[in-house]
Amino acid sequence: MKKSRKLIGILAVLAIAVAGVAFAPAPKKVTVKGSDTMVILSQKWAEVFMKSHPDIIIQVTGGGSGTGISALINGATDICNASRPMKKSEIEKLKERYNTLGVEIPCAKDGITVYINKKNPINELSIQQLSDIFSGKVTNWKQVGGSDSPIKLYGRENSSGTYVFFQEEVVKGDYAPSCQTLPGTAAVVNAVIKDMNGIGYGGAAYSEGVKICKVKKDANSSAYEANSENIKKGLYPISRYLYMYTRNRPSGEIKEFIDWTLGPEGQKMVTEVGYFPVR
Amino acid sequence: MIKKAQITIVMLGLVCLTIIVPQARTYAQAKNDTLKEAVTTLRDRVTGMEERLATAENNLEKLTKIKLSGYIQAQWQRFENPAVYPANYISLRRVRFKVQYQPVEGVVFVLQPDFVPSGFTLKDAYVELHDPWLKTFSLWAGQFNRPNYEVEYSSSKREVPERSAVIRALYPGERAIGAKLEVTPPSVPLRFQFAVFNGNDHRVIKDVNGDDINPKNKDFDNYKDLMGRLTYNFKLGNFGGLDVGLNGYYGWMKSNSTTVLNSDYTLFKNVTVGKSIDRHWVGGEMQLYMDILGGMAIKAEYMMGINAYPGAVGSFSVANPVQTTLANDTLMMTYLTTNTQQINPAICRNFMGGYVYLIKNIGKRNQFALRWDFYDPNTKLKGDQIGVVKYENGTSDIQTTTTIDGSNPVVVLNETTKNIVANSLKSGTSDVTYHTLTFAWNYFFTDNLRIQVAYEIPFNEKVGVDASGNSNLVKKYTVNDQTVDNDYSRVFPQNVFTLRLQAKF
Repeated sequence: MKKSRKLIGILAVLAIAVAGVAFAPAPKKVTVKGSDTMVILSQKWAEVFMKSHPDIIIQVTGGGSGTGISALINGATDICNASRPMKKSEIEKLKERYNTLGVEIPCAKDGITVYINKKNPINELSIQQLSDIFSGKVTNWKQVGGSDSPIKLYGRENSSGTYVFFQEEVVKGDYAPSCQTLPGTAAVVNAVIKDMNGIGYGGAAYSEGVKICKVKKDANSSAYEANSENIKKGLYPISRYLYMYTRNRPSGEIKEFIDWTLGPEGQKMVTEVGYFPVR
Repeated sequence: MIKKAQITIVMLGLVCLTIIVPQARTYAQAKNDTLKEAVTTLRDRVTGMEERLATAENNLEKLTKIKLSGYIQAQWQRFENPAVYPANYISLRRVRFKVQYQPVEGVVFVLQPDFVPSGFTLKDAYVELHDPWLKTFSLWAGQFNRPNYEVEYSSSKREVPERSAVIRALYPGERAIGAKLEVTPPSVPLRFQFAVFNGNDHRVIKDVNGDDINPKNKDFDNYKDLMGRLTYNFKLGNFGGLDVGLNGYYGWMKSNSTTVLNSDYTLFKNVTVGKSIDRHWVGGEMQLYMDILGGMAIKAEYMMGINAYPGAVGSFSVANPVQTTLANDTLMMTYLTTNTQQINPAICRNFMGGYVYLIKNIGKRNQFALRWDFYDPNTKLKGDQIGVVKYENGTSDIQTTTTIDGSNPVVVLNETTKNIVANSLKSGTSDVTYHTLTFAWNYFFTDNLRIQVAYEIPFNEKVGVDASGNSNLVKKYTVNDQTVDNDYSRVFPQNVFTLRLQAKF
């Protein structure tokens, strides 16, 4: 009798445990994919957000803005991070598949920073000089006031929003074939740290261990560093918005996450990571 | 004694040192050399690998200039029209493989064949040249889609199985050979397309015997057709967007007949073969995208104008011995020669047509679509006038000649020549208006795999009946030795059910 009571007790506890596991609400998952420039920021957001919202899992991956937008179009991600606005052709694809134009949410500002090696005597370059350097017209530092040594170019892959933005706003043409493409801004920074003749570009948040080259609009303008003040005042000539995109107007946990990133806590983290808040 | 021993030890030590030190030096030197050699070997290997990597990168770079895409549509269809046999079958609707090659920035080559089992056809074959300065203009040359919303909207994306009737009638095969200038300013949501085409691509142009005489890969006539389309996209905030557009077609084709009829089958003019007849139409379009509990769209287009059909002329003679008699020494032969000049008049029909789609996305995977489309190929002819002979202008001329050969035997030759001009055209199925309702459900397993279930319900315009109560238009078909009548004085069943599976990459 005692034995059977014990057995019934154990079975009851087991049944309650199984039922508890089975009927416990599964955590809601939000996938975020895209811009490598935004990966650090997005991961920090996700980390802090999940602490205060344990029922929501935010899964962040990079791959580049182009990859993120493709994932948004083919339904593989809920939110796309992009360091450039969506192209007309990409909006057309969203229209064709989902009958929406996508929702664009500017969530931070960034100044595209030009990195050079700390030993490089150059301190500032104009947009035209940068264009000439990255298009291959200028191949020696001497041609832009530096020492007599060849310029080594480091850049991003063409799936990167930074690649596209820098090409459209600075290079205004094709990159030089000698420009070495690297997977991520961190790799660009590392290459410039190691190469005395190196020059690269990327988000402001990555500029540790390299010299930040000031940029001027044209030969007669003043040169400005990519910092909060200059970007806010619109003085730094290569600044841009960082975006989140969704297919439809966000709702549920997606909306909850996006609203949080645009709130005081989320925007504070934008500054902490090295970008500039939009609110 | 001790001193001697000490001296001996020191001496021995020195001897040892003189032997060991050079050896050690030699050993160290050798080790150093081996190390240097190893470093050199490694450096060479790394350099070799770098070179191989550079070559591989270079090759990979070339591959990134090629883009491959394609899709296959396999379907099962069931037809309710009793004249269609087999009434249900499985078929491959599309087997497309598209290759895009961009050798340099701004130059794109496109090839797209279709490999359906009924025969290989080349769909797209064109080159695009994009201006590298303003990034606004592009020039296309080759065979490509005519500029029209539904034409350019690939069937791999379309929400219903087939394009609207008016589009299928005006732009058969969708593509045409020609050149196009496209203007797409990067900072303005505008697109302007202006194209020049042969104009008769994929049309069936019949001679008097009913054979298609439209040549492939070149034009039927000397007239070229112009086509334009202008669209503008409005953003409606987070609600969605509205795209509006205008399009027009300004073309001509040669009359292949000496008689041209108006749309109402009255005589328009008599011409010489080769004179131009008009193909002009205009259209308006809109696509409204709304973010209401997921994506939703209303798309519509309306077109109206004149389309030309070239007619045909031909002549043939038949000579038959009608009677031959031999009486006494006289052979009497009677021949009848019939010369027929067949004239199928050309006709310029006023038409109108259009469509409205309602599309609703439900979640990420489901999509519902409803389309109503209509096509009135002859707006000047009401239903009760279809199938009635309105134009007939035949003439007949009989001449008889008699020749007598007075030799022995006498031969009398009676030769009768009959010249007929058969000049008539009766309205028929080409003038019947159709309204079609299409319901479709699309389920996307993934972005690459879609299943479509659709039901099309066409409604034909009803034609009149004659004094005896017989329909003015009946099309007869033979199906399995049975005659099937499609009587256009009533709406007869023509519904089509389609179950389609599409895989694309």
